[in-house]
Amino acid sequence: MRYLGRFLLTFLLILPALAEAHGPTRQKLTLSVDVAAAPDAVWAVIGNFQDMSWHPAVFSTAGKGGNAVDATRVLTLEEAGGPTISEVLYKYDAAKMSYSYRITEVDVNVLPVTNYSSHLTVTANAGGGSHIEWKGAFYRGYPNNDPPANLNDEAALAAVGAVYKAGLDALEKKFGK
Amino acid sequence: MRSKRSSANSRIKLAVVLAALALPGGALADYAYVTNQSSSDLSVVDLDRMVEVGRIAVPGQPAGVAVAPRLGAVFTVSPDAKMLRRFGMPAGAPVAERKLDGGPIGVAVDERRGRVFVSDWYNARVFVIAADGLATLTVLATGSAPAGLALSRDGRWLATADRDANQVSIFDAETLTLRHRVTVGLRPFGLTFSPDGRLFSADVGSNTVTAVDPASGRVLGHVTTRDRPYAVAFASGRGFVTNQYDDSVSVFDARSLAAIAVIDTGEYPEGIDASADGRRIIVANWFSNSLTVIDAESLEIVGEVTTGDGPRAFGRFVSTPPATRQ
Repeated sequence: MRYLGRFLLTFLLILPALAEAHGPTRQKLTLSVDVAAAPDAVWAVIGNFQDMSWHPAVFSTAGKGGNAVDATRVLTLEEAGGPTISEVLYKYDAAKMSYSYRITEVDVNVLPVTNYSSHLTVTANAGGGSHIEWKGAFYRGYPNNDPPANLNDEAALAAVGAVYKAGLDALEKKFGK
Repeated sequence: MRSKRSSANSRIKLAVVLAALALPGGALADYAYVTNQSSSDLSVVDLDRMVEVGRIAVPGQPAGVAVAPRLGAVFTVSPDAKMLRRFGMPAGAPVAERKLDGGPIGVAVDERRGRVFVSDWYNARVFVIAADGLATLTVLATGSAPAGLALSRDGRWLATADRDANQVSIFDAETLTLRHRVTVGLRPFGLTFSPDGRLFSADVGSNTVTAVDPASGRVLGHVTTRDRPYAVAFASGRGFVTNQYDDSVSVFDARSLAAIAVIDTGEYPEGIDASADGRRIIVANWFSNSLTVIDAESLEIVGEVTTGDGPRAFGRFVSTPPATRQ
């Protein structure tokens, strides 16, 4: 009985923490693309946290708070009623053409990551045109040891890499090589 | 350089002398031993010359690190390989390694008693391991998800940051009995004793640092930080906190806990430690693959050093040369 009580207590103590748990090794990824358009033109398209329509996987963006710190948005993917990703803006610098946000809620079956944060930055290239950089830091989808293959570190890197590549490919198409 | 301890063995003395000859002006400097989690290696950085002088393979994505100059040793923990390793100092090939169960992550050393402590993130416990030979001596129960570990400078207390229990556990370092469980801020991660013996936790979830009296178990106060405080270090009567999501270090007065300044660092600053002379603060920038070196008095950035990929440096990672620390 003593052991049962201890077990239950342990379980109850652990329960609220599960949502915050994560794997042992944070992953990072940086993808970038150089485009012909000027930084101002690129920033005009991707600099609005409340509009991610430039990304081909995003069907709609609904949020509040504009581009102020703590602004939120919910991305609906693919189609009306599709899977969603909830995000919050935690840094925004229009002068530096850079902002940072993190995911507050996503199903690991949609994007197999936890504790995900991301940064998007536009800089001027010396020879004209713009450099667009998209960076992410995140843990894999499976919070415990010995993850299944679909929720391991490699799966997380592959999934985020695919999202970034699709977005940057679309920007390259829009703004020219 | 201060006089060598009589316990220093002659082989280590010889190594120091040889290193001094090989690296003029560098061998008596503090070194940083930086665990690079993404590239699975250890950067050895000469902090006087501000240059990486060695890169040692540490398989299994190392995070935790603890220097032990009195033992002439550096300990690392690789969570993916579940491996604790002991290296000589200056570091070369590992002299001992030991596979553990669960999710080992943080490490601290009791140099006086020859004990190494490793936190098990997944199983709410701390392994107590012999510094020589790495045999497990006993296991201590903690709260959920223990991460950072710290030993007080006088050797009286061992503390663990039990992240998912929002508490620190404080043990008598001699008897290894639990003395206090203290509720701090949300999700404490890094843990450090100040020079005057108070315990400080960096509370990732509440953007605070909590000060605790280890003897009474009382919370003494809080410091407000920027986003995602990760770990704390002390120098020049000030506390320095890495803000992981803010690319900065918050500086506070160690006595009054009042905010003093915020210093920009590289991206995702994590591990932080002070030089032995207390004049510099060294920060590992996980995303930028660099160390930022800060003058603790002027709060100016005095150097930046390139490391391997994904420097965590989670623990005490700055050391005097072996066996010269008093």
